[in-house]
Amino acid sequence: MDKSELESGALLDKGSEEATQERENNGTPWQRISPIALVYFLLMFFKNIFSNIVYLAPAIILGYDKVTEAPQLWLPIIFGVLGLATLFSILSFYFFQYRLSNQQIEIRSGVFSKTNINLPFARIQNVELNAPWYYRPFGYTSMQLDTAGSTQKEAKVVAIKETLALSLKKQIIASAKQARQVNELNAAHPNENGLNEERLKEQSGNEEPWVEIEEQEEVQLDSRNLDDLVIHGLTNNRIWIFLGTMAPFIDNASEGIGNFLRRFGIHIEDYLLFDGMSMWQMTWHVISIALFFLIPITLFSIIGAILTFHDFTLHRSGDRYIRRSGFFTRNEITMRLSRLQMIVQQQDWLDKFLGRRNLKFEQSNANITQSQSGQQSNKILVPSVTKKECEALMQDAYPDNQLDSIAFNKVSWRLLLRNLLLFVTPILTALYFVFVSNDYEDSIQVYVLIAFIIISLSCLRYWRWGYAIDENYVYIRKGCIGVNYYCFPLHKVQQTVFKQSWFLKRNKLCAVQFVLASGMVSVPYLSQTDGVKLIDLCLREVEESKRNWM
Amino acid sequence: MENIKTADFSNQNIDEDQVTIENIEFSTLSKKYATSRRWLGLLVCLTYSTLVLFFTKQTWIAIPNGLLNAITISSFVISGGGLLITFYCHFADPCKAYNLREQDISYRCGLIFSKVISQPILRIQHVELKRGPIDRKLGLAKLQVFSAGGALHTFEIPGLELEKAEQLRQFILSHKDLTIHG
Repeated sequence: MDKSELESGALLDKGSEEATQERENNGTPWQRISPIALVYFLLMFFKNIFSNIVYLAPAIILGYDKVTEAPQLWLPIIFGVLGLATLFSILSFYFFQYRLSNQQIEIRSGVFSKTNINLPFARIQNVELNAPWYYRPFGYTSMQLDTAGSTQKEAKVVAIKETLALSLKKQIIASAKQARQVNELNAAHPNENGLNEERLKEQSGNEEPWVEIEEQEEVQLDSRNLDDLVIHGLTNNRIWIFLGTMAPFIDNASEGIGNFLRRFGIHIEDYLLFDGMSMWQMTWHVISIALFFLIPITLFSIIGAILTFHDFTLHRSGDRYIRRSGFFTRNEITMRLSRLQMIVQQQDWLDKFLGRRNLKFEQSNANITQSQSGQQSNKILVPSVTKKECEALMQDAYPDNQLDSIAFNKVSWRLLLRNLLLFVTPILTALYFVFVSNDYEDSIQVYVLIAFIIISLSCLRYWRWGYAIDENYVYIRKGCIGVNYYCFPLHKVQQTVFKQSWFLKRNKLCAVQFVLASGMVSVPYLSQTDGVKLIDLCLREVEESKRNWM
Repeated sequence: MENIKTADFSNQNIDEDQVTIENIEFSTLSKKYATSRRWLGLLVCLTYSTLVLFFTKQTWIAIPNGLLNAITISSFVISGGGLLITFYCHFADPCKAYNLREQDISYRCGLIFSKVISQPILRIQHVELKRGPIDRKLGLAKLQVFSAGGALHTFEIPGLELEKAEQLRQFILSHKDLTIHG
């Protein structure tokens, strides 16, 4: 505070004038956030610069040449940038004000372009608390307020005491709930919330621990241990997170590794020369090189998984799911059960081998632009759960779903035919010219092996396709070596698409797409009668039940 | 797949009894729409070729050979593409049709790959009428319907008579489910 007062004396006068005016109007004084937010704004400044690096690139390249000619400029430039960043963060901090009054929150922010957000508590759908690592020692957190869908504005209280944030959150949720109950009384139709409460009552007979506790109290549904995360890291490559941050250094790193290995008499360049090798030798070399790179990648991937999902917990409080995780930045995602659009179960080939799967609760992605980068949108992903845990979680969200027992209908074999003709044949022809026409040894054998793999993969892909429907849900299965299952309630459908080409029409087949608020799912090459039935049932459920989708 | 509910539910399509998307009767778009698209295509191609002609025949600026080649190739591509598109549109545009039922609105399009998009009215978030300069000249309008499915899945019907488009919009806006569940 002191610093900012010194830095911008003139602005202060104007600001306090405004503040007194507002005070007269509304009675509640504007509040500043904690100075710890300076760090946040500083980081945001650099983040913004780096995310706009494309636009700055020409200037940087030109400037770089100039500066290398005159090295004495380095110091002033660095100080200039740092000074600008500091000034920016101090100003942002100075102009960021919020106040709570009358069941609403007002946020004023922005240095050049001012924004003024006014949010009644009743309109707030979601409250997310995220604590970056530099906040945690001081007990601060940032509070993201999520409204119903279409607002592009980011309503975020950047730094607030954790205890205050928690009590505010309680208050907001309570008043939002009250507003909803009033709405329910007004609307004659039963919707999600009513059903949820019924569900809760129904289940209270069971001996599930979470039902007996008060609605607002959180019940832990799931948590992940270190071994789960190691498995998750193995099966899901999170290397890209690392590569993204390491990209500027990759060139240096590869050179460094090369030099390092040369000391032991290993010459990478020689290793990559394939002259005078037989096909088998070459394959062996490729595999060993791949392994050489795969091991560090896997290690990084495991570290990535541990950092992202450290201390993962999934709680349920009333109709809300709350997911928390993160090693450095503690990330919290809250989702109301009624906002859940689709459950996705992902099982990669390695997952299949280890008997694990990833469970995703997907909600509307309308405000995906609003969510911070680095945060995995607003899905709740439960990493590497066992079959049993997965079933329990799914039963908790959608008690009447039959994903595990329902019989899937197969799609037409013509899909396989099309894929073989349209995709596999051209690839194999191209490969034939690459391999067989060049005179490597054993090339025919390798070609046959590759052809066999590609063809069996496309057969497998066809084999995995499946769809099913019951009174409440649509189930879709697809995949190749791994399997993905999708399950969504009929009434969550936003739009349906029925597709048919001439070829499909002649064979009484069609393709069907369901547009949900969380994205689109499709089924190819199913029989026309089934496709029409699927669409009719979905449209009918939407239009007849008139249940809300969020 | 046999659990079809039978309650008091009506989604009548004028005089059809069975509630299925298979037998909806589609109404065609305005005849002016296909014509306008043909003229627009022709106009674009003509404008481009006039520009090319002017550019290559003028004598003020010397054009490098490479650029001249590029222009020649691109004009072939554009005129050929324009011809193909016109051909396709000639057959495809009449396939575009829409239908309004009590509870949903559907749009059919596509010649070889035909597509029927159905949008339940109670999932609609907002409606827009869009009219470009040509649309305004011809008294046409494009109806855009937005749902929570996102911008990629905006439901739109082009080439409606203005009056019809306004009627449709009014029907959607005054639909009883929209006001409660919007």
